[in-house]
Amino acid sequence: MMSIRTEQTDILIIGSGGAGLFAALHAHKANPDLDIAIAAKGLLGKSGCTRMVQGGYNVALAAGDSIERHFMDTIVGGKWLPRQDLAWKLVNVAVERVRELENELGCFFDRNPDGTLHQKAFAGQSFDRTVHKGDLTGIEIMNRLAEQVWARKIHRMEEHRALALVPAKGGEGIAGVLFTDMRTGDFVLVRAKAVLMGAGGGPTMYRYHTPSGDKSCDGMAMALRSGLTLRDMEMVQFHPTGLLAGPDTRMTGTVLEEGLRGAGGYLLNGAGDRFMFDYHEHGERATRDVVSRSIYAEMRAGRTTPLGGVYIEMKHLGPEFVAKKFKGMVKRCADCGFDLAGGRVEVVPTAHYMMGGVEMEADTATAIPGLFVAGEDAGGVHGANRLGGNGVANSTVYGGISGDVMAEFVGGKSGAFREPDMAVAEAAVAASLRPFGGKAGGLYGLRNRLDDLMWDKVGIIREAGEMNDALAELDDMTAELQATGIPDTGREFNITWHDWLNLESLLLVSKSITVAALAREDSRGAHYRNDFPDSGPLEETTFTVVSMAADGAMKPELKPVDFTIVKPGESLIEGEAGAPPETAGKD
Amino acid sequence: MVEFNLPKNSVVKKGKTWPAPEGAKRVRTYRIYRWSPDDDENPRMDSYEIDIDSVGPMVLDALIKIKDEIDPTLTFRRSCREGVCGSCAMNIDGTNTLACTKFNDEVKGDVKIYPLPHMDVVKDLVPDLSTAYAQLTSIEPWLKADSPAPERERLQSPTDRKKLDGLYECVLCFSCTTSCPSYWWNGDRYLGPAVLLQAYRWIVDTRDERVGERLDQLEDPFRLYRCHTILNCTKTCPKGLNPAQAIGEIKKLMVYRQG
Repeated sequence: MMSIRTEQTDILIIGSGGAGLFAALHAHKANPDLDIAIAAKGLLGKSGCTRMVQGGYNVALAAGDSIERHFMDTIVGGKWLPRQDLAWKLVNVAVERVRELENELGCFFDRNPDGTLHQKAFAGQSFDRTVHKGDLTGIEIMNRLAEQVWARKIHRMEEHRALALVPAKGGEGIAGVLFTDMRTGDFVLVRAKAVLMGAGGGPTMYRYHTPSGDKSCDGMAMALRSGLTLRDMEMVQFHPTGLLAGPDTRMTGTVLEEGLRGAGGYLLNGAGDRFMFDYHEHGERATRDVVSRSIYAEMRAGRTTPLGGVYIEMKHLGPEFVAKKFKGMVKRCADCGFDLAGGRVEVVPTAHYMMGGVEMEADTATAIPGLFVAGEDAGGVHGANRLGGNGVANSTVYGGISGDVMAEFVGGKSGAFREPDMAVAEAAVAASLRPFGGKAGGLYGLRNRLDDLMWDKVGIIREAGEMNDALAELDDMTAELQATGIPDTGREFNITWHDWLNLESLLLVSKSITVAALAREDSRGAHYRNDFPDSGPLEETTFTVVSMAADGAMKPELKPVDFTIVKPGESLIEGEAGAPPETAGKD
Repeated sequence: MVEFNLPKNSVVKKGKTWPAPEGAKRVRTYRIYRWSPDDDENPRMDSYEIDIDSVGPMVLDALIKIKDEIDPTLTFRRSCREGVCGSCAMNIDGTNTLACTKFNDEVKGDVKIYPLPHMDVVKDLVPDLSTAYAQLTSIEPWLKADSPAPERERLQSPTDRKKLDGLYECVLCFSCTTSCPSYWWNGDRYLGPAVLLQAYRWIVDTRDERVGERLDQLEDPFRLYRCHTILNCTKTCPKGLNPAQAIGEIKKLMVYRQG
């Protein structure tokens, strides 16, 4: 038996993005005597997606805006699917959080001439409320959070990969998490009184995707294996304009911000014709889901660019204007060899964000006592569609809440170390070692096949027949992966081993997406069914939950949405929420 | 005669060559530094001949291709792939930069890739950044304000805000620090350009109220003054920032405050 080292900490946090770091800081502030550890697959603050945030942070601060308005925009944008108490908490606590970011953590966002915070317009919102730092908002937030963590006695477990949630022996609750130290390949069981899962989502199982290369839905996969239910998994957001630079480059899929369309950019098909007005009266300024579907329809019809996408063109606005207004984007395209200001750039819809995730309560608790969840790993805040700027708000709001709640939890009578079920840890070690010694080769072919399968059959436009095919193929691929080996060269910083483990997580979560998408027989937000194109009556809105049985079978269930705050047809504000309706941000 | 002992692992041996696939038309050789803690071997340079027509434009694309299709034991760090996280900093063609934004075409001849210079190596192209991070922490790079926080944000004029441009964009890849000869020699005591750029970022932030204390901490023959304006830092920065200027500004402030 492979040896497992044991460590312990009061609070264990998986993930070093906005959710994880905020949780650590809040828990430390609540009780500086607590032992807190943060584990991440990469370097602290460098891995994950919060860092990659371009747009900004939605928060109702300005005169004339209100939390009610932000709430209504979130509900309407989420197509009435969000869990309303979660959305309400998001918009409320965001106000507190942004001040905390500025005044306590030292973040520094762009200013108005009078010295106050500048807020820009963003898609699907009825007010200019997105706080930002140029188009590099994520770097500012992550650098400041990471520095605050460095400043405190918070234990860092960098380049540690979580392999399994380890339950208490014979009892209820979580006892700890099994990791492998990626640098040494050793196995470590970290016992903890409370665990936060803030590993992030990242739909990298699609051919075109925006998240960083280390994202592979490990948190959601571990949750499924531990018997937790995931909600809204069919809701995968595609950003309409990802850079298309060919199949052999990691640059493909990175986001070109939607402000380009908002400012008047054209989308052209392979023949050089504008096509958006054939699909929607707002043309290029329609919302993310509409534009993504329209581009995809052009691609299916074969009217594509040489690399198989469409073009975005800005030069009619004046190359100098474009270069000045979209400095960051022009630079990014230039980095990749494209002239955004004066030429055409090939783009393609790109998988961006998972609205779905682990079911949580408003205090971030899950169904497993001692296990909490925040950020993209959690589901229910955004419903069928996430507004641009609500993502980093979600991570930081709920990350902070979980830190407060965990500090209290471990101080209370439920806060004790539980005896770990070592059989689970040992089985997870054995499962992770399976590829060693197997016949090496074929791993990346399999990964590419998964990306193609999900893109083609469970992507932007879906139908039952294709998704049933996909389910069968996912099972085949899962069996193939288990038979695929890697060279037996030791576990120290073995990234090929981690690629294998990543693929295992992705296959499992892909299946949950497909099962949920098959169960949802309507079209809503990010989820579009060719065979069920109508949204259905809003009053009877249901959401999906998926759970996995011990034999790996996944069962979907449809549950009615409880309109606890506002019902379809009602509003908390006068006038229209989610306005300017169906248009992309102007900025 | 004086005898010198070379430090452990300082001699890099010739490694294995992986020949180009048959039918490859445009062959490019990637010579890559390899070292593993698994065994007691010295580092070696492995050569990978690949068909450049089957590779994406960036050096990171080539590294991923080599790992995926030729040698799955090759190890490097990477995360965001768009120049934002700074994980894939390494020495390519003699210059420290990010593999994800460095074009293969910019390199003439063989593409030689080493880890960031003068850092301990974890494996292959992965450097140990512990010391650099400890130095970053030592300048206490966080807002220090004693006056009570206002109900809203602390105000700052656009002019003052502009002073942070060219500073906040740093992705902490440490390309500059590890290109600095002064840091190579005195890396245990000289803070290096990346950390000094961060220090200046807080010194000029008008919301911070401990500028004097920050300058006091830098008033030291090593921490600041080992910068000899060699300017490798500015030349190498993959984000086009100017750490040397930031260091110069700190030195100027040191002079001014002496009256």
